[in-house]
Amino acid sequence: MKSSIAKHVSGLLLPFVQVFGIYVILFGHLSPGGGFAGGSILGASMILYRFVYGAEASDRKFKYHYMLKIACTALIFYGLIKGYVFIGAFLGWHNPVGTGTVGSLFSGGFIMPLNVLVGAVVAITFYFIATLFEEGDFGNADPHQ
Amino acid sequence: MLQCLTLVTHNTASPNLVKLIPLVSIMLLMLSAFMMPLLKKKRHLFGLAGGALAILMVLSFVNVAYIYQNGGYYFDIGHFPAPFGISLRIGEIESLIALLFAIVDLMVTWYAYYSLEKEIKESRIAFFHTMNLLLLASLLGIVFTNDIFNGFVFLEVSTLAACGIIVVKDKKTNIKAGLKYLILSSLGSGLVLMGIAFIYSLSGHLSMDYIHEAMIANLDGKQNTILISVILFTVGLGIKGAMFPLHIWLPDAHASAPSPSSAILSALVIKAPVIFLIKVFYRVYGTQIIHETVILDLVLMFGVMGMIFGSLFARSQKELKRMIAYSSVAQMGYIFFAIGLGNTLGVVMAIYHIVAHALTKSSLFLAAGSFIEQTGFKHIEDFRGIGKEMPVTLGIFTVSGLSMIGIPVLPGFISKWNLAMASIQIDKLYLLIFLLISSLLNASYYFPIIINGYFGEENLDGKVFLSKSKPIKQLLPLIILTVLMVLVGFFSGNLIEFIERGVYTV
Amino acid sequence: MQTLINNYMFVGAVIMFGIGFMILLLHNNLIKKIIGMNIMDTSIFLLFVSLGYIDGKEAPIIVGGVLHHNGYVNPIPTGLMLTGIVVAVSMTAFMLALTIKLYELYGTIELDEIQNIRGG
Repeated sequence: MKSSIAKHVSGLLLPFVQVFGIYVILFGHLSPGGGFAGGSILGASMILYRFVYGAEASDRKFKYHYMLKIACTALIFYGLIKGYVFIGAFLGWHNPVGTGTVGSLFSGGFIMPLNVLVGAVVAITFYFIATLFEEGDFGNADPHQ
Repeated sequence: MLQCLTLVTHNTASPNLVKLIPLVSIMLLMLSAFMMPLLKKKRHLFGLAGGALAILMVLSFVNVAYIYQNGGYYFDIGHFPAPFGISLRIGEIESLIALLFAIVDLMVTWYAYYSLEKEIKESRIAFFHTMNLLLLASLLGIVFTNDIFNGFVFLEVSTLAACGIIVVKDKKTNIKAGLKYLILSSLGSGLVLMGIAFIYSLSGHLSMDYIHEAMIANLDGKQNTILISVILFTVGLGIKGAMFPLHIWLPDAHASAPSPSSAILSALVIKAPVIFLIKVFYRVYGTQIIHETVILDLVLMFGVMGMIFGSLFARSQKELKRMIAYSSVAQMGYIFFAIGLGNTLGVVMAIYHIVAHALTKSSLFLAAGSFIEQTGFKHIEDFRGIGKEMPVTLGIFTVSGLSMIGIPVLPGFISKWNLAMASIQIDKLYLLIFLLISSLLNASYYFPIIINGYFGEENLDGKVFLSKSKPIKQLLPLIILTVLMVLVGFFSGNLIEFIERGVYTV
Repeated sequence: MQTLINNYMFVGAVIMFGIGFMILLLHNNLIKKIIGMNIMDTSIFLLFVSLGYIDGKEAPIIVGGVLHHNGYVNPIPTGLMLTGIVVAVSMTAFMLALTIKLYELYGTIELDEIQNIRGG
């Protein structure tokens, strides 16, 4: 799909979609939304880029092994933070997860960093799933493997 | 050793650190699973997996030792206590099953270090380890959890991960088998989720103890809803646990997967849903409600059918791995038979048979995998005279096969003997006939392989002694599994006593 | 009859569940099977969410002070179904990926035709 109409329209649209996705992720603890919702919006924008500009351009921009590394690192950090919260709860440490106050971004303790990590994982996973449907395999998309 | 460990545990500060073990073991597995794609070299991959599993094994052993001394405990996850948050409950049975899973998975990973790249592509090894560790983490979650919805989520994760280790080998049959497994499993998980919806509408809770209390409190006029929900659970978990008429996904999946995957699938993956089913029966519904419904009779009937027909199907198979896969159906039949008996001894023997079968079937699959790897054959009749070429491996196969048949001292005999005792306890003597027929059928398909492997002039003709044998370090995991299996038979008294202490009030 | 009308969510969910179940079980086309699975899961999500809904109560989002604890609908089933949806999405994605691969290998997505092709 390489029509110039689609290219121009999506070129105008993509920044707004991505900014909205980042907004939903960052304000997930204060308003409806969060890591999964925002991450799926970001992932949708990446999929749109892939469909409009073609697989090669998309593979150049979103390199498979970098994306995989980002997703895995995000998952590991998510696990470590959750582990800190769970073990801290058992050992009676201070609860680092709060309710948050409307209007101030840096409230609610660990919820915002967790949302960011979840958002990264979800966006990349959605993009990978779309790749998987196209290629039939993850590894083929990556010239390094 | 036990004394020493308990000394350590007694010296810790007031929040008892041993209670963190279940959570830490699940998180350890998940974290190391997601570290796998970041690594490249085969040595590092296996090093990380083996290290994580070895730590898990030590932790599980400490947990068992602690529970042996002090009994089971609850663990609330996060800052919200039980009725609102998720809690884990770890008793004798759960800790024992966790130790078993850790040992079997460690041994299988050890075996896979030498043989995995002969079956799958080099680039897929990281994927195999990710899926394997994720699978083990989710299975431990199913075993530990005290919250039915949490159990459902772990069941789904285990389904996806199990499908992952089936399709890791890129053959046509693997994709077909994986898809078949996924479709039937999603059917099962839909039924389980519907059952959870029914239970939630009845009781308003998700924590097993609170559901049980709420159900006992207002039982009147709800019999039909309870019956529907218990049938939904039994069928749903029966699909995942290969209960007889619902086992059709199992032979394809287990026979086509790479041998280490087959061992894990047969030893661990079909056991966890059964544990969950036992927990649903006796922790969620409770003895009183379960005995009022017909469900135990149905489970017993399906168990008997599995014992007989699983063996009959196994007899007619031509491929070695398919035969062993059908033998798994028969052995799961024993476990469902034990649950269906409905008395304490029955449930204890179900757990004991889970332990025994996990050790036996993993060593059988790994031995069969070695045969296939060294000779290149797949069919049973090609393995005549294999005893001269690979005597140690066939020896391991023989011991495990004898346990399946039920030769005294080996665990297969112990469970059959006690199952017979349990049937006598509830005055159902006709069940002994089925046990006997099933044992004879087991013998009829394991003995020919063993006899044709070791004896017969024309079978041994032209075979060179030890010509295809593997080096001893590659056989070590198999030998350890077999020794453990024999030990489970020898110390069955202590083991059964340990399980009996933790068995849910029946 | 009156109980059926009173519990119309249950009835609707069970009918929808049955439709999805039968599609999943009886159709040979893999895409239809996946659609059936989604119908089945959706019926359970609807049932769960309707279990938590109380007529005339507000969504459990605190805006300008907390109402009485009876003032909100039960948020737990909705939260659970969020998890359920994620699970169903990953299941669907995995099944679709495997279906594509199966189509590349066998050239068909009808299960009975695949069964007839021997030797894989």
